[in-house]
Amino acid sequence: MNINVNDYLIVATIIFCIGALGVLIRKNLITIFLSLELMFNAANLGFVAVSEYLNLMSGDIFVIFIMVVAAAEAAILLGIAIAFYREKGTIDIDKANELKM
Amino acid sequence: MLDLAQIYNGYYLEKSLLSVMPEAVLIIFAFLILLAGLFSNFSKNSVNSYYLALIGITFSFLYLFMLSDHTIKGFYGSIVFDKFDVFLFTAILLSGFLTVLMSKNYFDTRNVLIPEYYSLILFSISAMMLLVSSINLIMIFLSIEFMSICAYILTGYLKGESRSTEAAMKYFVLGAFASAFLLFGSVLIYAATGHLGLYNIHNFMSQQNYKLLYHTYNVHTFLVIGLILLLVGLAFKMSLFPFHAWTPDSYDGAPTPVTNLMATGIKIAAFGVFIRVFTSIYNFNVFNFYNILWVLAILTMTFGNFAALLQTDLKRLIAYSSIAQAGYILLGVIAGGYYGISGTLFYLIAYVFMTAGAFAIVIMFENLNLTSVDIKSYSGLGYKYPLAGAAFSFFLLSLAGIPVTSGFMGKFFVFSAAIKSGYYWLVIIALLNSAVAAYYYIKIIVKMYMSDNNDNSEQIKLSNGSNNTIVNTVNANNMDLQTFAESGGGKTALTETVLLKSTTSALIIAVIICLIFTLILGIFPQPFISFASRSVTSLWNI
Repeated sequence: MNINVNDYLIVATIIFCIGALGVLIRKNLITIFLSLELMFNAANLGFVAVSEYLNLMSGDIFVIFIMVVAAAEAAILLGIAIAFYREKGTIDIDKANELKM
Repeated sequence: MLDLAQIYNGYYLEKSLLSVMPEAVLIIFAFLILLAGLFSNFSKNSVNSYYLALIGITFSFLYLFMLSDHTIKGFYGSIVFDKFDVFLFTAILLSGFLTVLMSKNYFDTRNVLIPEYYSLILFSISAMMLLVSSINLIMIFLSIEFMSICAYILTGYLKGESRSTEAAMKYFVLGAFASAFLLFGSVLIYAATGHLGLYNIHNFMSQQNYKLLYHTYNVHTFLVIGLILLLVGLAFKMSLFPFHAWTPDSYDGAPTPVTNLMATGIKIAAFGVFIRVFTSIYNFNVFNFYNILWVLAILTMTFGNFAALLQTDLKRLIAYSSIAQAGYILLGVIAGGYYGISGTLFYLIAYVFMTAGAFAIVIMFENLNLTSVDIKSYSGLGYKYPLAGAAFSFFLLSLAGIPVTSGFMGKFFVFSAAIKSGYYWLVIIALLNSAVAAYYYIKIIVKMYMSDNNDNSEQIKLSNGSNNTIVNTVNANNMDLQTFAESGGGKTALTETVLLKSTTSALIIAVIICLIFTLILGIFPQPFISFASRSVTSLWNI
């Protein structure tokens, strides 16, 4: 069986959709963050596949930057999660209900 | 003045470094503030970091003016410094300067770490400037993330206040969600075109036959889907209608100076990068992007205005009104061309001064602990504090777009550009929307000047019914009330001094700067609009 760039992009799209659904459905802050990571990594997979197919470097460079940014975001989110846990005793986002119209 | 290009010719500086000089200065000062914070930790002295932040922004201004005549490309075509940047850098730096001026007063009374706050403000300003000057999808993504990460931290800066933490959390989840869309859009654009630089993509799309190109996938379909996803990612940052959900919550929960930075700086940066992307990619009008943006603009302003009508909290009201303002600004971008974009730029700089002024007054009242940000608690404030009340009414009238203020001139330039491009219905809807907006802005002014034994306010209330005459009547009434209040004797003067004593001179300077510029932009817009027009031309020098 021959795997071409289309298949990679289809897999990336599926992973991206799973991640997006996870962000929308899940209630736990950490699970939401993992879903966000899934979305970022779907983009990584797409970039690697495309830059391999087109024989270019720029996509690979982008991937490295995405991974760095994802690490930075992880640090921020864990900080926010700890602050949230200290105040509410939980990281369930349904408890974030003080700001409403 | 010293010409930096000469230094470059002497090979003292790398050319790439020259293109990010204003940002680099800010980042250096941000680190200096952190270092100074380390050493002044024992004396609990917060003044150093505050002054260092102001000096850093001033130096950045200085470098900006020294470089302002040049067009410099750097970092292998990721960053360009041109006339367009000069205008938006000025607006962003002004927004940052006003934010820093406001911050001191706000954070003096609260128990938070001060040096880190100012360094984060400087980092986020430099990120906004990088975002405006980036012409590469990698650089756009990186600087959006840099800017957003600073904004997430700043939003949750009030330690121990659950509203602040909650706002940061909501902002983070939605912001990262938007960035993921932006990334996946870039993947598809990259797959279609094989480029990440905006100008390269522009050149690719200007080939007539690119639709016939076929890899193992359909290039045109990928390009369209990629552009839609990229638009979603950018629309989140501009807080356009279906993607606005983070705006009210994070504006409400954040510390008020940070709200000001988000409402002015981040919005300017998001629109700046959108204008760059729009003029280089979206203007090819693949897949009717003009119609999509048309609908987005109408939805954004209508939703923002009608949601703002229902608000009782002042910060939420300004948040929804800023969504509506984003709709007007988008109108200018859609109108496009020379007039549209320069009108948009003018609107952005006018928007900085009026919003910053309004937030400065909100901080003034917040600091007194007399009032919360609930609109009800503003009733009668116009009599107690005539000067602050008058200034606040002026900013609100400017946001509503009453003549003689900068808001009116901004709306005028944007709407006339849209008419020039033939978007008559869009302008009519926008005008109806600004009538709705005038209602809720003037409602606050009425609240401020409404006291128990005053029949003047009844007239104002009655005149609210008709939208057309409302503007003039209330304006006239307002003048009467102000003169009445100012001649109101010793008692009001006494309370005013209490207010002035509780605010530092920095905040008053911020208010005065905003007042002067709101007035000047409203009366003599000519130098500013010509500055904007000159800066726009560099957009098409691809």
